[in-house]
Amino acid sequence: MARDSYDSSYARPVRRLALTVIVLLLIALVLVWRIDNPRVERIRAAIIDRYVPNMEWAMAPITGIARMAEDFQSYARLFEQNQELRRELQQMRAWREAALQLEQENARLLDLNRVQLDPELTFVTGIVMADSGSPFRRSVLLNVGARDGILDGWATMDGLGVVGRISGVGDQTSRVLLLTDAASRIPVTIQPAGQQALLAGDNTPTPFLDFVEDPEDVAAGDRIVTSGDGGLFPPGLLVGQVIFTSDGRLRARLSADLVRLNFLRVMRSHPGTTLDDPGALIGPPWPPPGMVLDDARAPGSDPSARAEAP
Amino acid sequence: MSSILSPRHVWTYRLLFGVLAVALITLKLLPLNLSGGGVPAPDLLTALAFAWIVRQPATVPLGLMIGVFLLADFLLQRPPGLWTLLVILACESLRRRRLTMTEFPFLVEWGAVSVAIVGIVVANRIILWLLLVDLDPLGLSLTYGLVTIAVYPLAVAVSKFVFGLRKLGPAELESL
Repeated sequence: MARDSYDSSYARPVRRLALTVIVLLLIALVLVWRIDNPRVERIRAAIIDRYVPNMEWAMAPITGIARMAEDFQSYARLFEQNQELRRELQQMRAWREAALQLEQENARLLDLNRVQLDPELTFVTGIVMADSGSPFRRSVLLNVGARDGILDGWATMDGLGVVGRISGVGDQTSRVLLLTDAASRIPVTIQPAGQQALLAGDNTPTPFLDFVEDPEDVAAGDRIVTSGDGGLFPPGLLVGQVIFTSDGRLRARLSADLVRLNFLRVMRSHPGTTLDDPGALIGPPWPPPGMVLDDARAPGSDPSARAEAP
Repeated sequence: MSSILSPRHVWTYRLLFGVLAVALITLKLLPLNLSGGGVPAPDLLTALAFAWIVRQPATVPLGLMIGVFLLADFLLQRPPGLWTLLVILACESLRRRRLTMTEFPFLVEWGAVSVAIVGIVVANRIILWLLLVDLDPLGLSLTYGLVTIAVYPLAVAVSKFVFGLRKLGPAELESL
């Protein structure tokens, strides 16, 4: 009978052997992942790089339809929304006026002082193709990768605030670890108090602030910006606002809209200049050309003694 | 009777399982539920594999399961191989016990599958803890298991009424 070829008793020992071999191989795979993590994660990035762009034909229409359905639900309260937007627009006009005046004033003052500003940050824009697919990870996949010059660790923003950092780059895709992921830690500054803190994700929509120097100095509604400590992110990117939760913890309400991520900017970070040669900063080379020191002829003299030379 | 076990029937269902698995994985990858928080989405792929292995084991061969679950491990940011390993072990144990399950009502089968799912979630956690990997929140892991258990009858209903995958009777199982 036909079923003998699929599930028969004489095949049982063979099957058991195959099962044992497979189990051992899988255990080995898990151990290799644990021991040589970067290599296996590169393999993972390569697999995702092959799979996701190839499934784009199926994913894009479904995502589009689902987003349209979400938008369609909001038609129900179109009128209220319109009113709300009008009010907000009125407020924004006032703010825009204020911002323009301040910008002009700032430009005048900077010009007077001849301040050298940081070079403008440039960015690459990518489209969100996929998310992590797991309830335990918060990350999204962008359609830009090593091909476009993306590097690990770069900051990623939506139009307004920081969304996360690049963690894992394939040739055509790159993964953004969102600020809400349990593995995400970034150094931030809380303005206007100037407090340093660490923004730590914990799989909830509002990451919490850890290692705040002086929590009394922090008020709800304070702005949180990246501090640039450790050369991780460019300093001064907007992250969100401080909120107090009922359990007395400081958390951040993110400015970026993590529910509707569509287009993301990957900020090209320039590695900060490190000062590891203090002598070159202090003054011109000593001794000046043409000057002969008295102790220059004395052999074996202490070079530190030249500080006392007139 | 022989049509249930004919090569044509079996290969059709194998193909169907592969297609369903790829569809489920791709569906999970869609960037729709980015907000986080709330109840995690169930692991439909595991529920489907269990439902099929209890009904007609020949339709979910070992090689297919390894391919599908390893792909899921790599794409869904899980430690590669671990979930696959645990699912395969759980499937083997369910496959051995399915003779007893056919004679009892559905609740018994559901109970056995629930034990298997909770076992996988707990074993997954213990192994990750032994390997000193950062653990996910405990509540979230357990909720994930519970949601998957809750969705199991749905997976069974879809397999039975949409794909026509019926349970093999004792008479057909005796020779296996």
